[in-house]
Amino acid sequence: MSEISKPFFIWRHLNKARWLVLLTVFLMLIILPFIHVYQTFVASFSYDLLEPSEKSLYNIMEMLTTPFTNDPANGLENVKGTTWSGNFFGYQISDPLAVAGQVFSGLTFYWPFILTALIPVVATLLFGRFFCGWICPATFLYELNTTLSLWMHRFGFKAGTRKFDRRMKYIVLAVGLVLSAISGSVLISVIYPPAIIGRELYFGIALGGFGAGLVFFVITLLFDLLVARRGFCRYLCPGGALYSLLGRYRLFRIKRIIENCNDCAKCNAVCEFGLDPLHDDFGQECNNCAACIAICPTDAMTFVTSISDLEFQGAGHLGKSYKRSQDSGE
Amino acid sequence: MDRRNFLKEIIAGAVATAALSSGQAEAAFTAQTNQRYLRPPGSLKEEEFESRCIRCGQCGEVCPNRCIEYFNLENGIDSLNTPYITPRAKACILCMKCGDICPTDAIKELDRTAEDILGYVQMGKARVNENLCLSYQGKTCGVCYRACPLADVAIKVQLLEQPIVLDACVGCGLCERSCIQIPQAIKIIPDHILNKAG
Repeated sequence: MSEISKPFFIWRHLNKARWLVLLTVFLMLIILPFIHVYQTFVASFSYDLLEPSEKSLYNIMEMLTTPFTNDPANGLENVKGTTWSGNFFGYQISDPLAVAGQVFSGLTFYWPFILTALIPVVATLLFGRFFCGWICPATFLYELNTTLSLWMHRFGFKAGTRKFDRRMKYIVLAVGLVLSAISGSVLISVIYPPAIIGRELYFGIALGGFGAGLVFFVITLLFDLLVARRGFCRYLCPGGALYSLLGRYRLFRIKRIIENCNDCAKCNAVCEFGLDPLHDDFGQECNNCAACIAICPTDAMTFVTSISDLEFQGAGHLGKSYKRSQDSGE
Repeated sequence: MDRRNFLKEIIAGAVATAALSSGQAEAAFTAQTNQRYLRPPGSLKEEEFESRCIRCGQCGEVCPNRCIEYFNLENGIDSLNTPYITPRAKACILCMKCGDICPTDAIKELDRTAEDILGYVQMGKARVNENLCLSYQGKTCGVCYRACPLADVAIKVQLLEQPIVLDACVGCGLCERSCIQIPQAIKIIPDHILNKAG
């Protein structure tokens, strides 16, 4: 047993890095509206007219931004927007779903905008549904929601465990795009949680009131809690559907090392998307979140570059059923 | 509070919520087309704007005047989360930052020059109600003229500071914002309403 290949040690820690990225994105979505409010205060020279609470916001933001710029009104424009569409140091980056929705609602190809989705599309072709696991601000809340349901489980709460057909989300995507085309308005942005989170945080912080989107998002949270774990992402999210389609032949995917596997099934238990890593069934839904790599007690999960999953490799070599079959075979 | 009153209040609350939401639902499907709102400067025509805008909210996030707000359901579901300006509350200062950042060019990218603004910005047109205007009633005022960023091009004054709106008016709304008369004697007629009227 000397030839057992260990996965590259970094992979085990990717899940922590992922939480850091999710937290950073979410905090950015909260900080950016505050920066905007601060910029408007600066632009109007209104410090003396501010309320005490606004003054303290001004002071805090001034302390935070002084190291970066001398001209806050114009110098803090490097990062603007949300994950739906944002401006990142002069580069516009948009969600592929925003582009798809706009093409359908306008029924034209406006190339300057379509090209803003180029980087996300290429990244999705390589990494699959990584947006869902690594960036999506709604995922951050949905995973905390899962944690909450596990925590409430100790107090007798039974979270929903219903299963539906995963292909339902492709229907949602198709219907959303067709409705966008019929109404001539990007309606798909109304049912897409990350777009909603970005907008509603801005509305709540900078414009002083949440909108209708928040109600929709709370309903999806309750759906996840009471009906199916991560149900919205798995069964209904139109963006998830688009990413799954684009990531069908992704280059980077997770593979089970059969020599190390002991059939403990922790990977299946921890998989937020209810996939079946134990039986090599990742499919186009896997978002490369690396939670299964992090939890695997025997280092049996690793990243590989391949455009397809392996067929079911059989029972893990450290497991009992494999040993039994070996013994009976010999 | 005893149980009966408690139940009553809950039922009353539920009924009120249902009534409210049915009203909202109605509003969602019958757009109030004569609502007076302006799109940000350099926006496409109303229908094209709704199909081009992806509701990313960046225009509001760069507006230094914080005059850009976003529709909830009050103007129909097609306008949900699209940007608008209420000139009386806060008018556009024509800084053109929203057009710079708009990823879909639903708001055109324009320079902050008189040529670009006069050539491409069509938010609406100001209209003076002479029965309300102080200057037309013999009290010299002229506030709208002084508020206009395109004075003498978009608006001129005659004797007693009586304002006359010219064709070049782009409809930024600063005159309506500054009018000291209540209700305002000068108001912007938004572009989408002008187009409907023909």
